Amino acid sequence: MIRQFAEWLSQTSLSILIQTHNAWVIPTIQSIHIIAIGVVLTSVLMIDLRILGWAGHDQTLRETTDRFGPWLSWALLVLLVTGISMVIGEPVRALLSFSFWLKMFLVAVGTLIAAILQITLKSNEHHWEQTLVNRRSVRSLAILTLLIWVGIVILGRLIAYDYVWGSWSLKPTA
Amino acid sequence: MDITGFLASLESSSLATGIRDSLYVFPLIESLHVVGLTMVFGTMLIVDLRLLGIASIRRPFTSITSDIMKWTWASFIWTAATGVLMFVTNANVYYHNFFFRTKIVLLALAGINVLIFELTSGRTVHRWHKDAAAPLAGRTAAILSLLLWITIIVMGRWIGFTTSQSKAPLDRDINLDDLFTPPANESGSPK
Repeated sequence: MIRQFAEWLSQTSLSILIQTHNAWVIPTIQSIHIIAIGVVLTSVLMIDLRILGWAGHDQTLRETTDRFGPWLSWALLVLLVTGISMVIGEPVRALLSFSFWLKMFLVAVGTLIAAILQITLKSNEHHWEQTLVNRRSVRSLAILTLLIWVGIVILGRLIAYDYVWGSWSLKPTA
Repeated sequence: MDITGFLASLESSSLATGIRDSLYVFPLIESLHVVGLTMVFGTMLIVDLRLLGIASIRRPFTSITSDIMKWTWASFIWTAATGVLMFVTNANVYYHNFFFRTKIVLLALAGINVLIFELTSGRTVHRWHKDAAAPLAGRTAAILSLLLWITIIVMGRWIGFTTSQSKAPLDRDINLDDLFTPPANESGSPK
């Protein structure tokens, strides 16, 4: 079914428009996508380093998320828009790729964790600043979150090499 | 040894053949290169926005750099190392590629930009590190830095699209329309 959807999408006029200009449109969108993931990755890094106490000693956690949270959200929006454009431009490349779907799962997890942090920090600032940042589970989650976003970047690049997954890839192989 | 011989010896080194012989190592190196370069760009962006007085303006410039620059340098070394590994696998093609050459020149300019910053606003940092923005020289360096790093990323992406591993000459009887349909097997086309 996903194959039929990918093939249908590749016949839509928007997809054909991107395909006919793909010599510069695809690399341009990919470049913007990479720049935005740089913002996301380092925003997550700075918040997680603050939770771990490895950076931002002169800042509260709330000050750190106030600085990097909005950049994180806006960059995620840019990633969503450029990501959707790439899927429309090259539906088969993306939608039949194992890396793509694993990446989408990790993006959902990473975004959920970021959203939960933002919401609970706003409603329970004192508890976060005084207690939670010292909990081993919270600190482990900070490291895990960082690894999730690094994994997302790696999987994003591996979409171009989906054969590395062998039979897990849905793509036809020659 | 001339440059062509040097490039050929890089390509025939056991390191380069080892990477080429594996279907998995090059994609992994390229992915780790992207992780490194996004970290370099993102951390530089934080510093540059502080210089420009756009973000983190209530924090002293020096506490930002002491938090961040170690990550920038570590990521830069990581990215350069993975870049060298990719280069040796196809040295001659990269060396003659316009976008690769441009990228190397821009990297050198980014280095010079840092050097000039250190010799100008960097020297008087104790006088302005609590100000909302850096002096003119510092703000200029920040804008140049952003423009350079964005262009470096764009050039890097274009290298992937212009350095096909295939060196097979075009068949004269080839149907041009066939060139515009993607191959069924994408392995070996690093875009």
